[in-house]
Amino acid sequence: MKYALYLGCAIPIKYPGFEAATRLVCERLGIELVDDLPFSCCPPPTGLKMVHYDSWLALAARNLCLAEEAGLDLLTLCSGCVNTLKEANQALKHSDAKRRRVNKILEAHNRKFNGAIEVTHILDVLYQDSVVDKLIKLMAREIPLRVGCHYGCHYFRPPQMMYPNELSEAESYVPVRMDHLLSIIGVEPTEYSRKFLCCGSPLGANVDTEAGYAIVAQKLHYIRQRNIQALSVICPSCFEQFDMGQIALSRKQKDLSKIPTFYLTQLIGLALGFSPKELGLDVHRVKAKRLLESIDVA
Amino acid sequence: MSEKTLPKAPRPQMNDLRIGVYVCHCGKNISGTVRCEEVARYAQGLPGVVLARDSLYTCSEPGQEQIKGDIKAHDLNRVVVASCTPRLHEPTFRAACESAGLNPYLLEMANIREHCSWVHLHDKDAATEKAKDLVAMAVSRAGRLAPQTEVTVSVMRKAMVIGGGVAGIQAALDLADAGYKVYLVERSGSIGGRMAQIDKTFPTMDCSICILAPKMSEAGRHPNIELLTLSEVTGVQGHIGNFHVRVLKKARYVTSECTSCADCISVCPQLAPDEFNAGLSIRRGIYIPFAQAVPSTFMIDMNICLNNQGIVACDRCFQACSKKCIDFADRDQELILDVGTIVVATGVDVYDPTSLTELGYGKFPNVITTLEFERLINAGGPSSGELIRPSDRERPKRVAFLQCIGSRSKRSNPYCSNVCCMNTIKDALLIKEHWPDTEITVYYVDIRAFGKGFEDLFQRARREGVTFIRGIPGEIIEDLATDDLTLLGENTLLGTPYRSTVDMVILSVGIKPRQDSELLQRLLNLATDTDGFYMEAHPKLKPVDTTTGGVFIAGAAEGPKDIKDSVTQASAAASRANILMSKGEVKIPAITAGIDPDKCTACGLCARVCPYHAIVGGKEEGLYRVIAAACQGCGACVPECRFGAIDQTHFTESQIVEQIDAALAGDPHKKILAFACNWCSYAGADFAGVSRIQYPHNVRIIRTMCSARVSPAWIERAFTKGAGAVLVSGCHPADCHYNNANQNTARRVERFWRRMEKLGINRDRLRLAWISAAEGAQFAKVIREMEAGLKTIKPAEIENAAKKLFREANKKSDAT
Amino acid sequence: MTIKIWKFFDREELYECYQCARCTGSCPAMEVTAALGPRGTILKCLNLGHEAVVQDEKVWFCCTCNVCDDRCPQQIPISDLLVALRNSAARRGNVPGRLLLSLELLAKTGRTMIVHQLDEMRAHHGLAPLPPAPVDEVRAILKRAGLEEVLDF
Repeated sequence: MKYALYLGCAIPIKYPGFEAATRLVCERLGIELVDDLPFSCCPPPTGLKMVHYDSWLALAARNLCLAEEAGLDLLTLCSGCVNTLKEANQALKHSDAKRRRVNKILEAHNRKFNGAIEVTHILDVLYQDSVVDKLIKLMAREIPLRVGCHYGCHYFRPPQMMYPNELSEAESYVPVRMDHLLSIIGVEPTEYSRKFLCCGSPLGANVDTEAGYAIVAQKLHYIRQRNIQALSVICPSCFEQFDMGQIALSRKQKDLSKIPTFYLTQLIGLALGFSPKELGLDVHRVKAKRLLESIDVA
Repeated sequence: MSEKTLPKAPRPQMNDLRIGVYVCHCGKNISGTVRCEEVARYAQGLPGVVLARDSLYTCSEPGQEQIKGDIKAHDLNRVVVASCTPRLHEPTFRAACESAGLNPYLLEMANIREHCSWVHLHDKDAATEKAKDLVAMAVSRAGRLAPQTEVTVSVMRKAMVIGGGVAGIQAALDLADAGYKVYLVERSGSIGGRMAQIDKTFPTMDCSICILAPKMSEAGRHPNIELLTLSEVTGVQGHIGNFHVRVLKKARYVTSECTSCADCISVCPQLAPDEFNAGLSIRRGIYIPFAQAVPSTFMIDMNICLNNQGIVACDRCFQACSKKCIDFADRDQELILDVGTIVVATGVDVYDPTSLTELGYGKFPNVITTLEFERLINAGGPSSGELIRPSDRERPKRVAFLQCIGSRSKRSNPYCSNVCCMNTIKDALLIKEHWPDTEITVYYVDIRAFGKGFEDLFQRARREGVTFIRGIPGEIIEDLATDDLTLLGENTLLGTPYRSTVDMVILSVGIKPRQDSELLQRLLNLATDTDGFYMEAHPKLKPVDTTTGGVFIAGAAEGPKDIKDSVTQASAAASRANILMSKGEVKIPAITAGIDPDKCTACGLCARVCPYHAIVGGKEEGLYRVIAAACQGCGACVPECRFGAIDQTHFTESQIVEQIDAALAGDPHKKILAFACNWCSYAGADFAGVSRIQYPHNVRIIRTMCSARVSPAWIERAFTKGAGAVLVSGCHPADCHYNNANQNTARRVERFWRRMEKLGINRDRLRLAWISAAEGAQFAKVIREMEAGLKTIKPAEIENAAKKLFREANKKSDAT
Repeated sequence: MTIKIWKFFDREELYECYQCARCTGSCPAMEVTAALGPRGTILKCLNLGHEAVVQDEKVWFCCTCNVCDDRCPQQIPISDLLVALRNSAARRGNVPGRLLLSLELLAKTGRTMIVHQLDEMRAHHGLAPLPPAPVDEVRAILKRAGLEEVLDF
């Protein structure tokens, strides 16, 4: 099992702890990561795509070409990246006009989009049967926490593009894989109202930080209702909304209890026996130390 | 049993032909686009035409009198009417001819309205030229027409009604009262259908079961009605007037001596959700669907009975029954019933909103459907008529109705379900009547209160304090502590978001075709519309007839409708069936196939493609022959014969070839020659006209009964004559009106494509398209696409291809 | 240059909308800002023309969460419409300042994020320094794709 690792921007620059955790987990589970490819920003579905679609598509195509040249499927760690790269991959595969336009731009750099690879997300890679079997075998401890999962809109919406097979039978699709995966490591995945509500990040980033936090505040309200002890996310932007967001919100509302947020591979890493420090948990704004001590993880 | 041999109908000598042509203005409908006088003048010059007239309304009394007078005065022996689609007025003009002493089969029509003036509204010159072509095609064909006599078939004076809901009950009672024996076939254990489940009816607020129960028992005891419950139709053979219907009557395990004393219920150890109460309560393994059930005989659900393996492991009900009505040895029975007419009244299914996850149905206990609500407030329901919410059995103080759930949605049912608005208003008023302090909010998109008394009811609901908010919630949130529900949405009239909390949400779910409606569709050769409901023969003028003679439809199986409309339609269907049966006989159109015994080599290929097994014979006899009464006139056998031994009456080879030649007489390379089957594609083209959908004018349509009649020889002829493109169009696969005869169409077209490829001819010039009668837009789209394709083909290429085909065809005929 | 919106989004789709407002009912931006909302956006496009929408800064009040797509009973690709409208707005100079800043950074560094002492931070997590993105190629591609229509770089 071998992938071209696509780090994106936010993870290696803002949250290198997620990168460290992912590398450790993948190595332990036998997922080989090739990461010497000169990728650029994906670019985000919330940014460049909104402003200039053609530039967005061309730059995304370049990233896809790099993986094609290496002959590897692309592994992303972020909901935004997976959304951009999956959509661009499909748009270019299905539209001759778009492919022609983009290849004309790329030919100056001796690149050509051929549509030879697939794009996937770390959650979907970990969810594969063979990986899960290995995880069960190598698990060092259980993580008996009530965890609320937040998937991030761009990971699964629009489902007809992101998960067309799951949608084919039903009228709508909501993801379940993170909940299933976490239950394997002893987590009690806990449902909460408005689970599929946006984290508010793009609104906060592009328009109004406070408005973005107002959305995450709503999510947190429902999360607290269920006595959820920790959150699990698969996207650095969502993480920032929950982690930084709680700090910002607690400035206004002093008595708020704060819920630590984990990136998925950090929780998996804990189950595999890595230490919180190795997994980069020490730099989170909402500290998980006390919570982890309560389940004898140090 | 009459057998048919091919009538020899040589083309009459040109000077024997005396054709009268009538070009109809249809008010402005045709003459607004087509210069009718010019078309008539043109017709005057066509060979065999002795007179040509144009008139304002040819179908009017004076118009018909003119034709009749001309037939006598000018000794006409053929009549061509250029007007609307033959699907509309062919019977009118045939009758006119007949009354003037001319055989009705000597009439030919040119469709210059639906296929011309209405679809080329903005190009008068082109429309006029096309109308001339269509008239020329009709005149050419008319020259080949021969007089025919229609076969008369007797109609059995017995009827079958399939489906025991209110529509089926009404149809059965009407027919039984008229004196016919009626088999009322119902799938479940009791007749009554959806209406029996509903608490009150709108707009009169009658108690539903109170007005239905008397009708149910009347049907149960009517001497002319044989009630077949737990029964399903599994096979249909025969034709109008003489259907042989196979019915599977499932075992009830309780004999009709049952007095429904209910002594057996309390001893039964097995439980299941009560279907009649929409799963809101529990029933036993032995049960009666509901108190007023007809027949009032208990039944055993063998799926859960402990004796389902045939071994008696539990006999508690048997012991409890003092009349000894329990019969574990009861077995399914297969009945063959002969009837003359059939009424289909199979009703509808209810939309299941589980897949709309954002509304939480199935997850949040206090989100229920309107059908569940009907059972909840019904005195015979699980809460004995008390309004309670499922989570805590408390009375909800705040109730929200959500409209259009599963309706008007491309994700589920694209159509409006017709009854939900009024049903909700009725339900809201019922709550207000009993518990006036309940806050009721209806979230809607459009309130459709179109029927008699509906608007009054709507206004009454508003006056009684029901709040109507325009804007469907996008999401429902359940409060964990209270199980209350918060609706998130936008009031589109105020343009403001709302967030309102209620105790209970009722989803006003839509209705949809029965999940297994396809089965009856296949057995009875019915057509369905794009939404999946059974289709009427004509949306305005034959609303309860189907395209299969002797089969009628009633109730919501034809489309969503309320009780009143279902009953109205049921009586109409019964009346239509009655007309057939009281007459006792019906004439079959003279369009059957016939085999020329001199040419037949007894190869048997024709018998193999006949969808009705109407061709019999064999090597021993030295020939095959057609049983006229069984032949439905699809013509699928004709192109199958390699020896030219078969032909179809009134759709003969020579008639169609005349049409092809006339259509391609001028500028053939610019033209699209389209073969369209009578039931779907021709009707689809008609529908494009009715809908005024514009498409390129260079198409010339030739009608056959079934696309399977289209002979590869015709396609070859069209191309060798230089046609730019050829369209073969028929009903969608499985929707064929002749038992999937159109699979032959596909096979033959595919073969022709291979031939084109072999000869290096662009195969895109021959197109096969499945177009239903409802797909006018699709027909137009296909023609537009073909026209666009035709533009890329050079005349030289067409000419070259024509030569290649011609050479190859000649080589073949030399070889044989 | 003005962009042709209807190249991105089939105008016919607008007529599928019957204003049921399921989209806005689930729209998170509607809950916390004075956003137009998907329903309002479609109605304005139909009744006032899309110019009225692309001139309005509120066209940017959106999470891009695509939940409107999910809810739409008519399967209107609303998110495609929103991309088209915002692309069009950007060409008229209607872009939130912060968004422009992040794009300038992208054009300058090939990434949309920058921090001080990155190498030290990565070392703290036992990671090697992050190699710089191939800025020249990125800039060349963005230029050829026409980003200068909306951004000087």
